[in-house]
Amino acid sequence: MNTSFLLFALLNPLFALLAAPLYMSLIRKVKAYAQGRKGPRLFQVYYDLKKLMKKEAVYSPTSSWVMRFTPYLNLSTLLVCSLFVPLVFVPEPAGGLGNIIVFLYLLALERFFTALGGLDAGSAFGGMGSSRSMSLAAVIEPTMVISFAALAFVLKSLNLHQMFALTAGKILPISPTLVLVSISLFIILIVETGRLPVDNPATHLELTMINEAMILEQAGKNLALLELAHALKQFLLMGILINTILPVGLSTEIDAGKIAVSAFLFLLKAGLLAIIIGLFESAFAKMRLFRLPAFYVMAFFFSATTILIEVFA
Amino acid sequence: MLEALMYGAIATLLSGTVLPLLYRSKNIRKTSFGLSLLSSILLIGFAGIILYTGKEPVFPVIGFLPGLDFTLSADRLAAGFILLIAVVVPGVSIYSIEYVEHAKSEARKSLQTALTNLFVLSMLMVVLAGNMVVFLIFWEIMSISSLLLVMHDYSSEKNKKAGFFYFVMTNISTAFLFVGFISLFRLTGSPDFGQLEYPAADLALPFLFLFIGFGVKAGLVPFHKWLPYAHPAAPSSASALMSGVMLKVAVYGFLRFLLSVSAPELWWGVLILTAGTLSALFGVIYALKENDIKRLLAYSSVENIGIIFTGIGLYAIFKVEGLESLALLSLTGACFHAFNHALFKSLLFLCAGSVVHATGTRKIEAFGGLVKKMPVTSALFMIGSVSIASLPPTNGFAGELLLYQAFFQSFAVTDPLITVFLIIALSSFALTGALAAALFVKLFGITCLAIPRSEKSRLAEEVQKPMLIGPAVPAALCIFGGLFSKQLLSLAGLEIEFPDLLLLGILLGLIYTALFMIIRSKETGPARISETWGCGIPTLTPYMEYSSAGFSEPLVMIFKSVYRTKILNRTEYFDDQESLFKNGKVEIRLLRFFEEYLYTPPARAIDIFSKYVSKLQNGKLDSYVLYAFLAVIVLIIATGGFI
Repeated sequence: MNTSFLLFALLNPLFALLAAPLYMSLIRKVKAYAQGRKGPRLFQVYYDLKKLMKKEAVYSPTSSWVMRFTPYLNLSTLLVCSLFVPLVFVPEPAGGLGNIIVFLYLLALERFFTALGGLDAGSAFGGMGSSRSMSLAAVIEPTMVISFAALAFVLKSLNLHQMFALTAGKILPISPTLVLVSISLFIILIVETGRLPVDNPATHLELTMINEAMILEQAGKNLALLELAHALKQFLLMGILINTILPVGLSTEIDAGKIAVSAFLFLLKAGLLAIIIGLFESAFAKMRLFRLPAFYVMAFFFSATTILIEVFA
Repeated sequence: MLEALMYGAIATLLSGTVLPLLYRSKNIRKTSFGLSLLSSILLIGFAGIILYTGKEPVFPVIGFLPGLDFTLSADRLAAGFILLIAVVVPGVSIYSIEYVEHAKSEARKSLQTALTNLFVLSMLMVVLAGNMVVFLIFWEIMSISSLLLVMHDYSSEKNKKAGFFYFVMTNISTAFLFVGFISLFRLTGSPDFGQLEYPAADLALPFLFLFIGFGVKAGLVPFHKWLPYAHPAAPSSASALMSGVMLKVAVYGFLRFLLSVSAPELWWGVLILTAGTLSALFGVIYALKENDIKRLLAYSSVENIGIIFTGIGLYAIFKVEGLESLALLSLTGACFHAFNHALFKSLLFLCAGSVVHATGTRKIEAFGGLVKKMPVTSALFMIGSVSIASLPPTNGFAGELLLYQAFFQSFAVTDPLITVFLIIALSSFALTGALAAALFVKLFGITCLAIPRSEKSRLAEEVQKPMLIGPAVPAALCIFGGLFSKQLLSLAGLEIEFPDLLLLGILLGLIYTALFMIIRSKETGPARISETWGCGIPTLTPYMEYSSAGFSEPLVMIFKSVYRTKILNRTEYFDDQESLFKNGKVEIRLLRFFEEYLYTPPARAIDIFSKYVSKLQNGKLDSYVLYAFLAVIVLIIATGGFI
């Protein structure tokens, strides 16, 4: 462990934790404008989380320790994940943290327990959510792995820290193929955070929900933890995409000024991305469940093409 | 010292086999399992010393047949697999102390005890074998003792069929091995295993035969069908050994050959990788549809064997491409995964045995709510599920991580065609991993969570202590092997860049505790208990829960073309307009693709052929003498041609 990493380990999760809910609100706001509504306040998600934190948890008598364990595990997993994606500055890598495959599988760990939590209460909605979520996750997995492999291919490393140390300081992506990878990463972002056209985060009709159905039985503090974990996941995936396609301003040095600029620029870039996501969501209707694999194949195509271009070039 | 450890292990296992045959009493059976436990401790010492120091034991050579010696040897590869046997056996032995007592009669209990010990001993000897002949002798003992274990409940018609199926498949495996070894012998002129410095073209034939022979035994697609038949029939402790260890012995045999070849060809690697990837994918896809807990686990073994062969295939490809470090990485991944699978699959089979014992059924649809009825078994089951779904920081993840690293670094391969091939293999490998996660959410979720789905599961009770301590051993090793994977790899002398999962585990644990403490300190009142929301229905019944078949339905729809489900719908009507329903029949049939297209045609051909052959057997002594005479003449002519 070096000092640069220790500082990073303090700053990065804190930054992610504080900023992540903002972008949940922002996307909602953009969607509301697109639909001609005014939408909630920009800090609404923070208020919601605060309110939920004050409430007690409610458990079903059929549920077991799995349901009580899941919210804590999910947030801790995502907090560990936040050590993998440099947002404010790129530290020197330490202890294999930043390994892209470990990152992928930490997300899988979170999904695994969320799905079990969905089954725990014995509700058919939870079961449906778990079943659909695991099925769709299985189908998107090859795309995710190939996209990350393409990223590793182009940036010649398995470690996210080393990858972004390479892109840091540049204004535009260092290789044109990264644009292709970014399209895949964008689709992955949409899928993993359960947004339209895959899943509808705003729905209140149980039969159409996927992610929301799994956490339907969670309440109070536990729900707050799960919501926060979800926001964090979205923020980190946004971070990977932004550092790949628009690394401008990302600092590699420990310097108060540079870190501040880097964090500020990141907030702006993430805002831009959130607006794009909001508009993207507004432009699409939810797809039929069994049409989704075709949507994923698109992302797969872009990533596989990237690898092929890199190999033949 | 080393030799003494091994003799001690063999002697304890032998006495563990003989004792229960001589005396039928509960204490003797306990002693017998105690002996196998002792032997595994000795074996851990033996293998540990070889792996750590690299010193090899010297066993005396015993003259056995003219020109053939009985030789034993153990290099690092063998020591690795001996260690694999030695880590699985303790859990199974402790578990069996109680489990074996549930068998129907006193004789069967003792027989099962003796066979378990014999089975372990034969597997150990296969790995120790110094030449092909010794290898094949113990290979056959291993097959037969496992066959007898599969047939332990021989009164049931289904088990007889399962046993027969297994018997045929294992003989096919041995037949291929015989041809493979004989062709190898013709090339080298010696039955010993040794470095094979021959051009790959000469080794193509032995390679193909050995690959199929070991592949059948390991359960590679399309030779995997015996696994889902044999496992439900076998006692769970035997399933744990068969799936955990015996399949790995086949992997060992194949590695023994492959690693001794100095210059393999590219198509070998491509063939192994293709077979491995397909096995992994088909194994998990078939497992998803399964509703019998032991059949599901059997298919999952097919998947994991596929993953191991994926690693071996990568090794061969990288070796041909001259990328030594990547080849080492993939080989380590394959061996590490073999270890992991041995641990978590024996854990899962033991837990499945407890669940089946407590509920009296193997149907997943009849389970549910066991997390409250059988808390310890469920917790162990959970550890097994998390490991097999390869989630960090367990050992299952560590193994797959090695293979992923090998895949991700394959940009060093310069051949574009191979790169395309590797991309396809990688995406299929990723799909397998994610499907396995879905599979074990289904298995654990439907088995252990929510409301009991049947009376049997509502009345289930936790099993006795030995059946809890037994699986706890592999469960602890699963977590240990994951957390300390980096340290274990460097202890074995492998310099591989690998993330520190211990750090990851500590971080996860610390953050979890901190979060828990913070939230707890802010707790204002006790948590409220309230019914699950059921759209206004006062209480939920088990019929309203998600079922096992329902859970896998989306994936079954997506992979429809693999399952080849046929839906037949025949309806009759009273009138021409087809509006008055008379009667009808709807049938959903699963096409057993491999059985109907691959297994049945040769079986039918053999049936027809043997009808003609059986005419030779007319019961007259003089015609038999004539056959013998003709056979001698044919032999003289045939061998004369060679001399």
